[in-house]
Amino acid sequence: MRQYPRWPIHLILLFVSSLMLIPFVWVLKTSLSGENIFSYPPALLPRDPHLFFYVDVWYTIPFFRYLVNSAVVSAIVVAANIVFNSMAGYALTRNFPGKRAMILLFLSCMMIPFQVTIIPAYLITKKMALLNSYLGMALPVCSTIICIFVFKASFEAIPKSLIDAARIDGLSEWRIVLRILLPLSKSAIATNVILAFIWSWNNFLWPLVIIRDQEMQTLPLGLSRFLTVVEDTTGALYAFCIMVLLPGLILFLLAQKEFIAGLTTGAAKG
Amino acid sequence: MAWLRNRYILTLGALGVLAISWNIYVALNNDGIIAGRVVTAEQQPVSGATVTLSERSLLVAVPKGRTVTDDKGGFRFAGHTLHHFYLEASKEGAGRMPPKEFRLYFKGQNLFIEKPLVLAESK
Repeated sequence: MRQYPRWPIHLILLFVSSLMLIPFVWVLKTSLSGENIFSYPPALLPRDPHLFFYVDVWYTIPFFRYLVNSAVVSAIVVAANIVFNSMAGYALTRNFPGKRAMILLFLSCMMIPFQVTIIPAYLITKKMALLNSYLGMALPVCSTIICIFVFKASFEAIPKSLIDAARIDGLSEWRIVLRILLPLSKSAIATNVILAFIWSWNNFLWPLVIIRDQEMQTLPLGLSRFLTVVEDTTGALYAFCIMVLLPGLILFLLAQKEFIAGLTTGAAKG
Repeated sequence: MAWLRNRYILTLGALGVLAISWNIYVALNNDGIIAGRVVTAEQQPVSGATVTLSERSLLVAVPKGRTVTDDKGGFRFAGHTLHHFYLEASKEGAGRMPPKEFRLYFKGQNLFIEKPLVLAESK
């Protein structure tokens, strides 16, 4: 079979990847120089770069407080997602009456946007006395249907004989999930961690609805507050965006291998 | 100890070390000292010039300190808690330097201004 040179396709891929990076480069460049998009002549690299816009952000609003709030909420969401989604995912690998209806219900629920359910969600949270609290902010994203299916696909890829052997050895269903399935589903766990973290980290609408205390605000709310405090926001606003993006970006880069493996588990199952 | 050698621990550890180092550096350099010199356009030191330290709020510049230069034209502020401020110098008969912007990496950072503030005779 004739082997074609691979460099042309790599060159095209490199070019397309560079195009995808342009918005990020632009945000980073503006955060370092304050030049807006209309500056002329346009330049790829920042002129006279400095980090003072980051300092402005740090001192203009209680950034560290917002960072801690976002981190606490994200930690709750990530932990809850792993626990609840793995349990739900395992349940969906078992046979029980109405399983098909349950899967269809899950899939149809994915079509309903959060904005539609925000009023009942608010009323439930209020009834539970969780308004203006970390747990209240975390509650609606403590389990997500996509992540349940990620776990389901990962668990189904594990040989059934392994689970049967564990059952013969006397392991309970809980211990099968904890000792057999979860250690073999690291990619699904990484996918859950990344998706839950990013969804929680970027969540704006729900915290906006239930948070009243300024001390309880998260970073996305801080961003909107920042816009009302600072007059000339070009550089500082972009610096803020970089500071908000950075934790999610680091997490994604660290776990990207497992993340991609988690999303593709079961995809090529014949 | 092999379990410590993975990319999660190394990255988070490096970030932790960076944060601790930065805080140590801040603690060692946050006496709030601003020092410099005032000279004429001919680079002659100006004694008795008034140097004003001000912070810009949303609309106006709020004065935060004032000092007078010594025989060698030197001035010094101590204990400031600013990270973005303006310095202005003037002396009757010698001229004036309009507010000049200075930015620091943290509040109260010590700043020794190498380039002197130059008074220009007002027309």
